[in-house]
Amino acid sequence: MRGMRNSGTETPVSSIDGSAVGAPAGDPIVRLFESMRPDLLRFAHWLARDRAIAEDIVQEALLRAWRSRDALKDQAAARAWLLTIVRREHARLYERKRLELVALDDGIELEGMPSPPGPDSEIDSLRGAILKLPLEYREPLIMQVLGGFSTAEIAEELSLSSTAVLTRLFRARNKLRTMYGLTPAPDDPHGEGVL
Amino acid sequence: MNHNEARLLIGGDPHTVPPELAEHLAGCPECAQFQREMTVLDDNIRRALEQAPLSAAPPHTTAPATVTPIANAPVAQRRKRASSWSGWALAAGVAALSMIAVWTLRPSDSLAHDVVAHIQYESKSWSSNEQVTAADVKETLARAGVAIDMDSDKVMYAHSCLFRGHVVPHLVVSTPQGPVTVMVLPHESVKHRMSFHEDGMSGVITPAPHGSLAVIMQGNENVDAVAQQVQQSVRWLPQS
Repeated sequence: MRGMRNSGTETPVSSIDGSAVGAPAGDPIVRLFESMRPDLLRFAHWLARDRAIAEDIVQEALLRAWRSRDALKDQAAARAWLLTIVRREHARLYERKRLELVALDDGIELEGMPSPPGPDSEIDSLRGAILKLPLEYREPLIMQVLGGFSTAEIAEELSLSSTAVLTRLFRARNKLRTMYGLTPAPDDPHGEGVL
Repeated sequence: MNHNEARLLIGGDPHTVPPELAEHLAGCPECAQFQREMTVLDDNIRRALEQAPLSAAPPHTTAPATVTPIANAPVAQRRKRASSWSGWALAAGVAALSMIAVWTLRPSDSLAHDVVAHIQYESKSWSSNEQVTAADVKETLARAGVAIDMDSDKVMYAHSCLFRGHVVPHLVVSTPQGPVTVMVLPHESVKHRMSFHEDGMSGVITPAPHGSLAVIMQGNENVDAVAQQVQQSVRWLPQS
C-alpha cells in the first residue's frame, strides 16, 4: 500500500509474496490508513527494533488491512484495528525469523535512524532500556503506552489472563525504574523472584 | 488489598486508579509514593516511545544486562529489604527527590526537543512527494480543530501523528525558503514564544488559542517571517 497517495487513480500494491492488488488513491479508507502509517511504523519499530523490518511489517499489515477492509465497521476504531494487525504481523515474522532476528540483533546500528537527538540523556537512556526489555515485557508495554490498549485488550490479543498481563507490565516498569536510581519494588507481586 | 496487590495494579497501569486501589493508597504512604513515582516514570516511558528506537538491542535474553544489584541479590536479601519498609520509604523518598530535581532541571525547551525528535523520525517528510489533496489537509487539520487558508498544492505532507500522547496534525509546506514543517499542538500550551536551533533545524513555537503551533525549517534560517505567515493562515475552528 506504500505510495498509495502518490498515484492518480489506481496504485499497484505489491505484497511480500509478489502478488498485487489495486487500491484507489482517493478512497477515504486508503487516506485513513495512510494517515496512520507513521504511528504504525513507530509501533512496529519498537516491536521489531529494526527500521527496515518495521517497514516490511507495516507494508504487509496495510496490505492485509486493505484486503480485510470490510471487517472494519467503525472507522473510529481504525487505529486499534491496524495496530493489532501490525502486532500480529510482527508475531508471524518473529516466529518465522526468530533465529535470523537474534543474529541480526548482534550489535548492528539501525539503518536509517536519526542520530541521537541532543542532550536529553534521560529519555535516551530510557529508550535504550526499553529496547533491552525481553519481548514478553516490551510488547505489552508498547501495546499499552503507545497503542492505547487496555489490560483486557492486551490479554485477549496475547492470549493471557489479565493478571498475567499486569504482571508483565509491572515487571517491565520495575526494570525501567532501576535506571532512575529508584529501588525496584521490593518484591515480585507473585513472589517469583524474576525482577 | 495488600501491598503486593496494590503494587501489581500500580506497576501494571500507573495512571489507572480503581476505587479499591485508591482506598489502599489513602492509608498507605509507601504505596502512594510508589504510585507517584511510577506515574512520573510512565510519562517518561510515553515520551521515550513516541520517538524512534535509538539502536538495536543486544541479543534476546531473559533479562537485560543492566539489572541492578538488587535484582541479582539473593532472595533472602531481597526479602529482608522487602520487610524493611522504613528503609525502603526513606530510600524511595530520597530517590524521588533526586528524580524530581532531575526532572525540574530539564531544559525548558523540552517541547522543542520533542518536536525536533519527531521530525527527525519522519525525516522523509521534508522530501515527500505525496499527492496531498485539499481533502487530506482539511481532514488532518480538522481532527485538531484547525483549518488553514492555504493552497493545498503547497502542502507536501499531511499526516496525523502521535505526539506526547495525542494525535496531532503534522504538515510540511513548500515555501520559497524551502520546506517548512507545521505541527499543530492543541494539548501543548506555552506561555511565551520560543525559538530554537537544534540538530540542524530552526524553529519557533508560539502560543495559540488552543495550545501552540510549531513551525520548523532546516538550517539556521530565520523562521520568524514564515512562522508569521503560517500563523496568519491558521484558523481555529469553534470547539464543539
